[in-house]
Amino acid sequence: MPREPVSRDLPLSVIGVSHRTAPVEVRERMAFGPSEAGRALLELRERIGIREAVLLSTCNRTELYLFPSHSPRTLEHARELLSVRAGKVGVDLSRVFFHRLGDQAVEHLFHVSAGLDSMVTGEAEIQGQVREAYELASGLPLDPPMAGPVLNRLFQTALSVGGQVRAETRIGEGTASVASVAVELARKLFGNLKDRRVLILGAGETAERMVEALARQGVRGILVANRTHDRAVQLAERLHGHAVHMERLHEALPLADIVLSSTAAPYPILTRPIFRQAFPDGPRHPILMIDIGIPRDVDPAMGEEPDVFLYNVDDLRAIVDQHVELRSEALPDAARIIRSRSDDFHTWYASLQVVPVIRRMRSRAEVHRRSELDRLFQGWEDLEDGDRERVEEFSRRLLNKLLHDPTVQLRKGMARGGGADLVDAVRFLYGLEVREEEEEGERSDSGSSRVDIKKGAGE
Amino acid sequence: MIHLLALLLYLGALGFWVRFLMSGARDEGPTLASLLAGLAVVTHAVALGDFWLQFGELPLVGPGAALSSLAFVGGLALLATLPLRDASRVGIALLPFSIVCLGVALVLGIQPSPLSIDFQGTGFVLHVTLAFFGYQGLALAFASGILYLIQHHELKSRRLGKVANFIPPLSTLDALGRVGLWVGFGTLSLALAFGWAWNVQNRGSLAFDDPKVLWAVLSWFIFVGIIGARRRRGRREYRGAVASVVGFALVIGSYLVLRLTAGGDGLFL
Repeated sequence: MPREPVSRDLPLSVIGVSHRTAPVEVRERMAFGPSEAGRALLELRERIGIREAVLLSTCNRTELYLFPSHSPRTLEHARELLSVRAGKVGVDLSRVFFHRLGDQAVEHLFHVSAGLDSMVTGEAEIQGQVREAYELASGLPLDPPMAGPVLNRLFQTALSVGGQVRAETRIGEGTASVASVAVELARKLFGNLKDRRVLILGAGETAERMVEALARQGVRGILVANRTHDRAVQLAERLHGHAVHMERLHEALPLADIVLSSTAAPYPILTRPIFRQAFPDGPRHPILMIDIGIPRDVDPAMGEEPDVFLYNVDDLRAIVDQHVELRSEALPDAARIIRSRSDDFHTWYASLQVVPVIRRMRSRAEVHRRSELDRLFQGWEDLEDGDRERVEEFSRRLLNKLLHDPTVQLRKGMARGGGADLVDAVRFLYGLEVREEEEEGERSDSGSSRVDIKKGAGE
Repeated sequence: MIHLLALLLYLGALGFWVRFLMSGARDEGPTLASLLAGLAVVTHAVALGDFWLQFGELPLVGPGAALSSLAFVGGLALLATLPLRDASRVGIALLPFSIVCLGVALVLGIQPSPLSIDFQGTGFVLHVTLAFFGYQGLALAFASGILYLIQHHELKSRRLGKVANFIPPLSTLDALGRVGLWVGFGTLSLALAFGWAWNVQNRGSLAFDDPKVLWAVLSWFIFVGIIGARRRRGRREYRGAVASVVGFALVIGSYLVLRLTAGGDGLFL
């Protein structure tokens, strides 16, 4: 009798490129929009009949999750799909692809979802991108669905892991971009930013991004001063603010709570004499000044003014670094969570493999029960219908009782992670033989119960 | 016993705030601290109610009882800040004052007063209660002021660490300090008016050499000085914070000096 060993190996692969393996010129060419991602997944199903696949594409990564992926042909086609997408980029693509298999693929996705594989550790945006990739695959009109039982479970667990890591560790603490540090500083000074006023010196892009971030927090009354007044007018119109002449800075300053500066001036444009002219008795309230100009636009001596809180680009960068360092302290805790949830996923997957064996064990027993009953009833023709039913009921109960303990123990054994040998033993003892295709088909059926993603996933 | 329980709950709340500050982590620190603080105030109210029922007089006369009531008013001030989320963290500076008051009250013994019924009349009750609100208003201004100065220092030093992360924003602290100051000034002014009326009614005149009267009047002038400092042009917030801290220190310092040198009739807090 041929034995088909049950493997704990998970035939799941992830193949792709990320900011760790590929330069931006490769990543940008390999990126997929939502409709393109859907088409790519359909193509994979048509060409190689892949059962389950999800394509995650962001500016920092393009990754294909494939199940099952035993065959080298599957990986070859996936790699080809991404290479064709990239076209000729003048880079040896074989060196930029990464491939993770089984447990490593699971842990990779959990790392990605928790923001541990992001350029800025702990950033939260990736969680939404993972969700979108999963929803796109599950929303494709395919039967069986592209995000089938295994990837469905995998992605929902990944989203749950992302949430758990962010909630239980300090990975998402502190702000990790210059614009968000500006907002954080403003909040530390002013609390609610609603109706606070901001004065922008220069029409730089970074300053504009900061103003947008502040405006999202409720900052109103935007004043723009620029050496070229026309540009100030343009930016003011775009930000729904007002332009002021640089020469009248002393008149604009008292109107502002926050000053953002990013001019290309080769010397400071906001000096103590201008400040004193604006505030002869000193400002009534604190003023936040953020100077991201190089060379600096605000005279550093302004920081000595008692109620001026002056931060230059190095100060902001230092705060960002401080936050990133704080986040990196959370990495061991995050890794522990990921390992534990990865083990749980593996246990769940392993438990799927026991289902077809149990089914076959029960169906084999049922065949024996049926044939023994038939043989009994053949020589017992005067048996009344009621008695016949009672005998049938007795045989069913006896069978269930006999199979109950082995079934429960088998499931427990698999859940403990050491069940592969048990499954082989049961196959040997009961003389079961299952073809791989049949087994996988049954496995898919048994794991097809979906969990609502909004309710949290996973367990 | 109930007073002791209230003290332990106040200490627990303070402990959670300190733990939250030290860890710099996002955990349940402030929520647990707020819950404990709320529970402490309720327990304290039960303790004072029990005193009233047991001895048939309000706990306003005699050092132990009066200090406990003063601490309770501090608890009420804290309770008022709890719905204001971040602002409730001012409790880390406000709670110690209530804890010290209640601790000293427990050491001195929270006993009924052997004095006449005059001390339980409406005028007297209003005088003492409003005075307690006045001093706790100043305590709130002090707590906000000291946190303001720390936060100001942190932000000036361009640090955005655990301390800056914990302490509420400057504008919130300034607003809390302003509220404490004006409520304190208003209630202390009314307390002085009721005290004057009570004195005239029961003793014929107001004795300015009485240390209680001297301290109350001195406190009122300190309030006026703080408000004056806040109203000067430029740097109002910073100057207001400094003035509140210095003013509170002067009020406590003058109380200690008067208490130690003048002796009094044993009723002066």
